[in-house]
Amino acid sequence: MSDLSDVVEHVRNGMLPAHIYNDSEIFAAEQKSVFSRSWVFLAHESEIPQAGDYVVRRVMENSFIVSRAGDGSVHAMFNMCLHRGMQVCRAEQGNASHFRCPYHGWSYRNDGRLVGLPFHREAYGGEAGFSRRGQRLLPAPAMDTVNGLIFVSLDPEVPPLREYLGDFAFYLDYYTRQSPSGVEVLGPQRWRIKANWKIGAENFAGDMYHTPQTHVSVVEIGLFREPKAEKRKDGTTYWAGGGGGTTYKLPPGTLEERLRYVGYPDEMIDRMKRVWSREQLDLIGRDGFMVSAASVFPNLSFVHNWPKVADSDDVLPFISLRQWQPISENETEVLSWFLVDKEAPEEFQALSYKAYLMCFGSSGTFEQDDVENWVSLTATAGGSMARRLLLNGRMGMLPDGSAIVPPLGPDQWSGPGEARVGYGEYNQRHLMNRWADLIEAGPAEAAGVAVGTTGQEDAR
Amino acid sequence: MTAHIPVDSADSPLGARATRAVAVGGPLPFTDPRHLAAHQWLVDETYLLDRQELEEWLARMTEDVHYYMPIRVTTSLGAGYDTARRMAHFDEDLYSLERRVARLRTGHAWTEDPPSRLRHHLSNVRTFATDVPGEILVEAAVLLFRSRGDVDGPSLVSAGRRDVLRDVGGEWRLARRHITVDESVLRTQNLAVFL
Repeated sequence: MSDLSDVVEHVRNGMLPAHIYNDSEIFAAEQKSVFSRSWVFLAHESEIPQAGDYVVRRVMENSFIVSRAGDGSVHAMFNMCLHRGMQVCRAEQGNASHFRCPYHGWSYRNDGRLVGLPFHREAYGGEAGFSRRGQRLLPAPAMDTVNGLIFVSLDPEVPPLREYLGDFAFYLDYYTRQSPSGVEVLGPQRWRIKANWKIGAENFAGDMYHTPQTHVSVVEIGLFREPKAEKRKDGTTYWAGGGGGTTYKLPPGTLEERLRYVGYPDEMIDRMKRVWSREQLDLIGRDGFMVSAASVFPNLSFVHNWPKVADSDDVLPFISLRQWQPISENETEVLSWFLVDKEAPEEFQALSYKAYLMCFGSSGTFEQDDVENWVSLTATAGGSMARRLLLNGRMGMLPDGSAIVPPLGPDQWSGPGEARVGYGEYNQRHLMNRWADLIEAGPAEAAGVAVGTTGQEDAR
Repeated sequence: MTAHIPVDSADSPLGARATRAVAVGGPLPFTDPRHLAAHQWLVDETYLLDRQELEEWLARMTEDVHYYMPIRVTTSLGAGYDTARRMAHFDEDLYSLERRVARLRTGHAWTEDPPSRLRHHLSNVRTFATDVPGEILVEAAVLLFRSRGDVDGPSLVSAGRRDVLRDVGGEWRLARRHITVDESVLRTQNLAVFL
């Protein structure tokens, strides 16, 4: 691999070598250095509510079964038989007590333990010859959850998830904990786009600047009243720990009035008041900001918006979670889920779902125009001219590296991290600086293989 | 155990208003006037969709139309379902369809400017009588070819459709469309186009 130190240096200076959005060498480095070291989202616990429920998801090209065992515990297991490497589960989702490999019939309990293999005695000499004890589908090297979100890491030495997310956990609650019961996660819609994965992550992290241009049509048809240029720049971008996002400035009012303004019914507001901290409530009620898009490094994003869903002046909020799953340097699989509070009234849940479908996901009217831009950008980044171009990602930064506006003080922003009003690419730079740090650090040491052993260790 | 599980508006959180019409009996003979009318209706519709004459397309809907394309998922043969729970690519009523079309007319819907070149290939048309007076059910296969830009590879969307057409004052209107898309992961950049 050639030296990527120039790329890293430019990125840290806020100037983005255009080819990083379509370069097989960069993509190979990302696989080894970014995705093998980070926490990557796999599934939400509400997708596998019952014992035996499972979904199959990937980290890069690695297939994992995420299952709920009989005792309620959640497991993430590499979907490859220990014998000859067949996928033991070829469905995307379902309910099973066991997974039986279709090739030779080795079978595994839904917690990963090997429980049966045909002709064990005749072919292997029984337990004495090959002990099933300790044999299990390879578990994800690290797994942890927060608010029901299940993350895995390919790096067993990765810092704990809470530490990795850091202060972003404060903001995560707005999306995934609006009541003591948490959210239900529905979907995902999945589709493949000819765009590099970083573009979506950067966009959701902090690109308020694109909203009035890219999404003007959604305002023009009366679906969404907020993205007008003069409104969007009154919001903030914030970065906190492992992620950051954008907010809208709400009209003056109390906490309750502001939550009603974005369409939450009183009973949901009451529950938010019970589960959110004073500071979390103050960000809305005192400071007047409402979270919109956000990204967690490397490739998980959130969005919260409040469009009209019928021919009236009422708006309804929705939340989406999405993952930019890298396929290659110029292709991404988008997985887009709809999130709704489990305790929300049934009618709210239905209309919030409608709001989501109209705005985001495979058919969403916001997302349609985003993807068009990202596909175009990616195609252009693949040529040799793009290697001569450093894209300007310095918005909000003066030549000496200082910010054009100071961060909000604690009397204006009650959340953790650093927040600024107005347009700026602070968050994109945070995200890409993290990316640069990992690219520079290089691949993680290959972790030792814990299982898939000869089966004779117990005898030693 | 069956590999065929029909789409049902009852699975949609927004499907309560949709007609509940179900097919009665086998497919009508191809010589039946109801089949001939339904077939012509569908062929005429493909021309509107290919040319993106979407206002005329909307005029062919009933007020209570349910336009529904759930997400297909890969499940084992005995699972009993092959669509995602309470999630879809499209789950539309007339309001949301009209907003989508209105957006494409703003001059600022970048995804269809330049427009896609579209061809809806329609086949396998079968028509059925239903248990609701004035409503017929018509099945078809549709293959959408979509080309964008000069050198980008085209995308294909293959789907089965089951439509309910309602006689409204002597003209057929689309009252319900169930789209059974044949891929779990779509290979088209978005659904800014209709099936």
